Amino acid sequence: MASTESTSTPPPARPLSPHLGIYRLTLTMVMSGAHRITGMGLSVGVLLLAWFLIAASIDATAFSYFSAFIQSFIGRLVLFGFTWSLFHHMLGGVRHFIWDAGYGLEHPEREQLAQATLIGGFALTLIVWAVGYAVR
Amino acid sequence: MANTGKSLRTPLSRVRYLGSARVGAEENWLQHVTSVALIPLTIAFAWLVLTLLHKDYNGVRAELGRPLPAIVLVLFVLVGLYHMQIGLRAIILDYVHGHAREWALMITAFFAAAVGLACVYAVLRIGFV
Repeated sequence: MASTESTSTPPPARPLSPHLGIYRLTLTMVMSGAHRITGMGLSVGVLLLAWFLIAASIDATAFSYFSAFIQSFIGRLVLFGFTWSLFHHMLGGVRHFIWDAGYGLEHPEREQLAQATLIGGFALTLIVWAVGYAVR
Repeated sequence: MANTGKSLRTPLSRVRYLGSARVGAEENWLQHVTSVALIPLTIAFAWLVLTLLHKDYNGVRAELGRPLPAIVLVLFVLVGLYHMQIGLRAIILDYVHGHAREWALMITAFFAAAVGLACVYAVLRIGFV
């Protein structure tokens, strides 16, 4: 493939619309970023699931390495982050569906929706972890 | 290029990802379809992980060897990775430029293919070997 962006002729300076830097930070802006960041986090986190499945398919020794990691403090921290990212991103998707249906775009509703997503993500995470520790 | 004859845009502008590529609606639709599928799959996956949590190696293998957990896992991984690839592509096209963009898009595709194949192979091996 030929060079997609020629280095010999710099692109002409184009006028830019006001971007993130000049606006007051709002919850909906943070949540937009959080949706992408949790998505990227889950992309890395899927390696944990792959490790688990591959280890379980090899033998008991391979599984014991995964088992030791996931039971360690760091392992639990990573798994907690993965759980929260999963539920936060899922509820963020539901929020986008509500917007696509034409609801929740106006002033008080969009902030309430952002708050509900944020609280809901942590609530689902804590419920799942509570069940995980309770059921033995 | 299928509709080059009708368009005033040069093929080079398409190669550079400038302006509309005329595939945005299809990509957006696929992102929505995978999103809808992933809601029940995520809940089923979380449920499955909770049932596996306190099992040892043999218990985990016995559980993953059953058809329903295996099907849930394969669907979750494949639909999730497809959804991931569309999302990462959107992020890459927003923030990565030049040749780094091409590498980032290729690495994303290779990552999705490799992780997907590895996970499906592992689940099938647990079930059938």
